[in-house]
Amino acid sequence: MLTATLLSACIGGKGTTAATPVVPTLNTMTLTVDSGPAAATGQINHAYVTVKVCAPGSQTQCTNVDHVLLDTGSVGLRLVRSVLTTGGVTLNAQTDSQGRAIEECVSFVGGQTWGPVALADVTLAGESAAKLPIQVMDDTGAGAPTPATCGANGTLVNSVSGFGANGLLGVGVFAEDCGSACVSAAAPLPVYYGCTTAGVCTAANAALAAQVANPVAMFAVDNTGIIVNLPNLQNANGDASVQGELIFGIATQTDNALPATGLTVLGTDANGDFTVNYNGSATILAALIDSGTDAYTFDDPTIAVCASGAFIGGYYCPTVAPQSVSAVNTGRSGTIVSNTVNFAIADPNTFVATASAFINLAGGPASKNFVWGMPFFYGRKIYVGIDQRVADIYTGPYFAY
Amino acid sequence: MIHRFAKGRPLLAIVAISASWAGPACAALGGDAASVVADGAELHGVVNSTSLPQYDIEEITADTGMRVREYVGRDGVVFAVSWTGPAMPNLQRLLGTHYVEYTTALAALSRPGLHRSVRIASSELVVESGGHLRAYAGRAYLPKLIPAGVAMADLP
Repeated sequence: MLTATLLSACIGGKGTTAATPVVPTLNTMTLTVDSGPAAATGQINHAYVTVKVCAPGSQTQCTNVDHVLLDTGSVGLRLVRSVLTTGGVTLNAQTDSQGRAIEECVSFVGGQTWGPVALADVTLAGESAAKLPIQVMDDTGAGAPTPATCGANGTLVNSVSGFGANGLLGVGVFAEDCGSACVSAAAPLPVYYGCTTAGVCTAANAALAAQVANPVAMFAVDNTGIIVNLPNLQNANGDASVQGELIFGIATQTDNALPATGLTVLGTDANGDFTVNYNGSATILAALIDSGTDAYTFDDPTIAVCASGAFIGGYYCPTVAPQSVSAVNTGRSGTIVSNTVNFAIADPNTFVATASAFINLAGGPASKNFVWGMPFFYGRKIYVGIDQRVADIYTGPYFAY
Repeated sequence: MIHRFAKGRPLLAIVAISASWAGPACAALGGDAASVVADGAELHGVVNSTSLPQYDIEEITADTGMRVREYVGRDGVVFAVSWTGPAMPNLQRLLGTHYVEYTTALAALSRPGLHRSVRIASSELVVESGGHLRAYAGRAYLPKLIPAGVAMADLP
C-alpha cells in the first residue's frame, strides 16, 4: 500500500488517483453538566447526554431522552418509565424460559432501582445498538411490585426526582452489568428476578446475553471503550454549566487515538476496581473513576464534615480551605503502574449557589473505598476500557487518564 | 474480592448449614447468635465459626461470592456485621431493628440517591457501605456494644 502510494505519487505527481476515503462513523456526542431535568433541577456535577431510544425494530416509536446521567461506575442503560411513556415509547419486559417477566434490582449504596428488563434500539451519536437489553426504571409501578428483598438496602430511587436524571447511561469497564455471578448460582443473587403475571417475583439467574448491557460494547464499531472529555472549569467557586464531549471507541479512529506519552493506564481487577492509598496511608482502598458520583468521595475523619449550608450532610467543609491532599492510584491488572494525584478540597459554602459544576468538592464521611467522582473529570481526558476489548497495546478492563 | 482470615487463626468450630434449612426470622445486629444461623439460611451459605478471646466470628459464605461476617460478643449479642460480594446483602435483615435508623439517616443526606460510598454514624449505630454491582463491601456496628479492648479498625 505504502509502495503503491509512493509509486503513484512519483508518477502521477498531482495525486488525482486517491482511493475513496472511508467516512468514519460519527462517534462523539455532546456531554453537558447543568442543573438537571426540569422535574429535578438543582443537580450538581451531573454530566448528561441525550439518548435516542426506539421500540425494537420501530422507526416511528422513538424518543430522544435528554438528561441521561453518564455513569462510568456502572454498566447499562436505565431509563425512567414515565419519561419513555411521555415520549410515546412502550418497551415490553423480556420473559424467561418459564414465561415470567424478567425484572431487575440494582443497588446503589443507599438505594436501588427496580423495573423490567426490555429490549430497545439505542442510538448515541452515529453509533447504534439494536435490541439492547436495558432496564426500565418503573416509577409508575406498571410492572410487578418491588419484592421485599429489593427494598432492603435503603430507598427506592426509580423516579426522575429521586435520581436527578431521566435515566442512567452506564458505560463502565464491563459489557454486562452483573456478569458471571448472576448466570448460574445455585441460589441466584437478588439482582435478576422472574415475575409472574400475579406479580410474584423470585430471584433468578440471567445468561450474559440477557443481562442489561453496556451499549458501547454492543456497537458494531468503536466498541473498545469510551473517552470522557470535559474542559477545566473557569471559576473555582463553580460554573453555571459545562459542555464537553463523550467519545466512543478507544484507538479506533483518529479522534480517539491514544496519546503517545503521558497516559496512566490503571488495569482493574475482575470487579472493576483499582486501588488507592490516600494521603500516605498504607491502607489499600478499592477505587474507581466514577462520573456517577458528584464529588471526590473518601473517608477522612480529620476533615470537618459540613455542619451547615447547602452541603450539610455528606460533604467535607475543611476548617482551613482549600485543603491539599493526595492519593496514589495503582492498577490491579496488566502492566501495574502507580500515579500520584494531588487535589484540593474547598469549603463548599463558598460556592456560587446557582452553579452546577464544582471542581474542588469532596464528599464524606464514607466507607472504606475511594471514588474519583466528577471533580476528577474536569480538565482531564478519562478513558474507560471495556473488559477483553483491545485498544492498541491495552486490553480492558481499565481506567486511564 | 473475598478476604480470608489471617494465617494462624484457627477455625475452632465449623458448622455447615444445608442450603434448604430455614431458620427463625431474627434480626442480626443487636440480636443473638441464633439469628446468624437464620441469615446463613437466607444467603444459602455455609456458616463457619471462629472463636477469638473477646468475641466469636460467624462467617457465612455462599457460592455466589457473597460473604457476611457477624461478630458475637461474650454476652451472646451480635455487635458488628460486615459484608462483601457481587450484590448487596439484605441490610434490613442484617441491621435488624437498627435498619430504620439507617434509612432515616440516609434520607437526611443533602443529596440522597446515587451513591457509591456512605458512612452513617451516631452514638448508637455506625454503617459504612460502599461499592457497585459486582463488588460491594461494608460493615455496621453498635459502638456501645463493642467489647472492651477491641478496636473496630482491627476487626478481622
